[in-house]
Amino acid sequence: MAELERKDIQGIVVSAYKHLPCAVFLLLRVKNAQPSRTWLAQMATEVMASEAKDETLSINIAFTYSGLKNLGLGQDALDAFSLPFQEGMAAPYRARLLGDNEENAPTGWDWGAPNNPVDVLLMIYGKDEATLNAALEREQKALPAGGVELVKILSAQRQPNTHEHFGFADGIGQPVMAGTGNKQRQLQRTHHATELPVGEFLLGHPNVYGVIAPSPAVKAADDSQNLLPEIPADAAGLNAEAGMHDLGRNGSYLVFRQLAQRVAQFWQFLDKATCTANGASNPGARDRLGAKFVGRYKSGAPLVLSPEHDNPALGNENNFTYYPKDPDGLKCPIGSHVRRCNPRDSLGPDPATALNSANRHRLLRRGRSYGPPQENPLVDDGAERGLHFMCLNSDIERQFEFVQQTWVSNPVFNGLDGEVDPLVGDLLRGDSIFTVQAEPLRRRVEGLSRFVVTKGGSYFFLPGVQALKYLASLRS
Amino acid sequence: MTHTVLTFISKVKPDQTDRLGPLLDEINKDPESNKYIPFRSLGLLHFASLVLHQSPDTPEYGPYLIFENNFDGELDDYLKDLYVHASSGLHQIYSACLDYTVTSPSDRQGIIAYLKDHVVLPNAYHIGNTGRSVTRILQEQVLHDALEAHADTLVERGQPASPGDLLANFQQFVRDDQKWSWIPGVGPRQTFMEQFANWSKFILAIVIALVLLPIWIVPFVICMLVLRYKESTDPVQQSLADSTNVRQLLEKENQTKIVQNHMASITIVKPGRLRRVALWTVLWAVNLLARARATHGELSGIPSIHFAHWSMIDDGRRLLFLSNFDGSWENYLDDFIDKAAVGLTGVWSNTLNFPRTYFLIFGGAKDGPRFKAVARDGQTITNAWYSAYRDQTVQGIDNNSSIREDLLKPLDATGAMALLQRL
Repeated sequence: MAELERKDIQGIVVSAYKHLPCAVFLLLRVKNAQPSRTWLAQMATEVMASEAKDETLSINIAFTYSGLKNLGLGQDALDAFSLPFQEGMAAPYRARLLGDNEENAPTGWDWGAPNNPVDVLLMIYGKDEATLNAALEREQKALPAGGVELVKILSAQRQPNTHEHFGFADGIGQPVMAGTGNKQRQLQRTHHATELPVGEFLLGHPNVYGVIAPSPAVKAADDSQNLLPEIPADAAGLNAEAGMHDLGRNGSYLVFRQLAQRVAQFWQFLDKATCTANGASNPGARDRLGAKFVGRYKSGAPLVLSPEHDNPALGNENNFTYYPKDPDGLKCPIGSHVRRCNPRDSLGPDPATALNSANRHRLLRRGRSYGPPQENPLVDDGAERGLHFMCLNSDIERQFEFVQQTWVSNPVFNGLDGEVDPLVGDLLRGDSIFTVQAEPLRRRVEGLSRFVVTKGGSYFFLPGVQALKYLASLRS
Repeated sequence: MTHTVLTFISKVKPDQTDRLGPLLDEINKDPESNKYIPFRSLGLLHFASLVLHQSPDTPEYGPYLIFENNFDGELDDYLKDLYVHASSGLHQIYSACLDYTVTSPSDRQGIIAYLKDHVVLPNAYHIGNTGRSVTRILQEQVLHDALEAHADTLVERGQPASPGDLLANFQQFVRDDQKWSWIPGVGPRQTFMEQFANWSKFILAIVIALVLLPIWIVPFVICMLVLRYKESTDPVQQSLADSTNVRQLLEKENQTKIVQNHMASITIVKPGRLRRVALWTVLWAVNLLARARATHGELSGIPSIHFAHWSMIDDGRRLLFLSNFDGSWENYLDDFIDKAAVGLTGVWSNTLNFPRTYFLIFGGAKDGPRFKAVARDGQTITNAWYSAYRDQTVQGIDNNSSIREDLLKPLDATGAMALLQRL
């Protein structure tokens, strides 16, 4: 396989920046194209490509459809992006398939809905608060008045550990992109690595079908400075003929969803569902039902490997499948969060085919928690907290939307009947169930509400560095 | 119990499409009990759809009305029922069609004769839940829900019990209530004779093909070589799917909580007699195989199709495909790619713009992005769609049947446990 073009790939693609625990995300609006492009030309020099590794600070940048349009990208080029990116996450039928209904509906979002759109996402990662705040101040000052306007600052919480707010270890199972060298690291850490072709995450490269991941291209005449690579004859794709210039190459689609977590409601619900006959709390049973919801214990240990109790020694363990050990969900419920989000080999009679199919729908997750940790998970302190969910993929429909629609929010997922993901599914208020498979009879937990609420979101394009320079060079 | 799978296809008067479109929209707003065709009243009907198709790419065909019907039993009984409940609606709909000469909705014979004249039987079809009537599917669902609720109360009470005791409890629950008295009287999904007949046809076809091998092998090889040359030069899809069409399709997909979706597709068969013969032959083989082998809920490993038909229309120049399936469009197409690429490439490689193939059945759909773009471009809006059981999957219906079939049997502990795990 050819070497990755690391100089052209933004750093977030190959690294989750675990060594930079502080992060802040700026949501911006392009008000005036010309000063914005001048600003962008400067940003292009600051953006951290994946060849370098800065131990203190890293900046990445991404754009929505309206952002590219407001920067002056031509309609032909805009039309060459994938449809979900063009329409955005809040388009009514996309909201429907993503489960953004009722409380989750875009009409109630803080950002990203038609009435409060965003154009640019600036991601800043720093080694500590001081470094981060200095960079934040600098970047805010650099925004040209009347050109780029700040819409919102989303702070991520410093990560004391890798646990999300409900208290469970997160980010254990991740695919790795070929060519990054992450496979060895992943194998060491979790004893398993699913390596996928570059084109699953970067446009313009061969994907899991062995064909070029559709990538937007521009006519050669529209790139007079030759900033973008020419598409060779053997790499032509849909809407991207040989000889055109590849705008998408080494870029990715970045999905961003701000998900507020109702920690107290979650644990209060579990507490009530597991209390003893006289109404007393039963912490052991409560944690256990929580683990059944998630599919891993708080430590991260998978239920499939340790069905009876938590085992912190297995906290990072990811070397397991469902079919041989737990085909019926007796250990890890079929509807649990991790089993829905990545069913591995469990969907269908043939495990090898099932695993192969499941791996067509993988995401590189890059999310960060936000808001203060909750002192007592059972007591509501009124603060907002949650997850800035971020993931990278080359095909939003086949990857992110598929996971959300066909697995997470599917009421008949893998033979279930009328339930959705207990954490992030489209749970109707107080009217949802969760089935815990058991012998001789399953138990249905009733009365689930939404524990996670969508507060905002957008589909972004995370361009390659050359494409960034190209956007800065536009004339209109 | 057998099903009938067919379409009525009519040409629409060009000046009537503006009237017909809104009428079909009105049906779609309330498929169960709209004033034109109140589908819920048709007790034999599983799925129906109405498609008003007019493609700017093929103006020579003009607008078509395609009325898809998947029902229990024979056409005559179904038509009687359809007429009783929808005579006026049918008359209003078909008055928009070119060769409809009936002047009054009370002309029963005229309307029924018109529909019979316009029947198009599919070249190939697939049925997910073989042998199950609508009545039986709905009854078994009610039974399933009652058993689930009963299981909830047993779990609530928390009495530990052996699988055998629990099964006995469920059996008593069913025997105690007169409304479940129908349970023992339901027949098998397929009789031995039905299975035997389908397998006989399949085996007979193979035997005949082998016997006649000396006659057809040379022309076959020549045809394959010609085909190989053609497929290396046929144009393939070069652009993303037409976004206007995709947007309209997405508007209609995934209504309410998605369990089922509908897909209607009309594609143009590549020019030349050879392609028509190849397509006809592949569909014939698919049908033979589907009858004999795909009787347990899966078509070539795809577990989510209730009813699907393929019909060559317009003297074999276009291919109509209709499918009533579970889950999302993406999932359906991915299943096609991952599990049934050979069969589907064999069919659609004979239509325009299909991704590059090798020897008719290889390659093709394996090019995921291109295949999906072709599939979306070939897809046409389903104007109205009805399902008799919108919240049920093929696999769920099969599970309900298995529960009903085993419930009153004497079972050992293992058998009892297996049955309880179906809840």
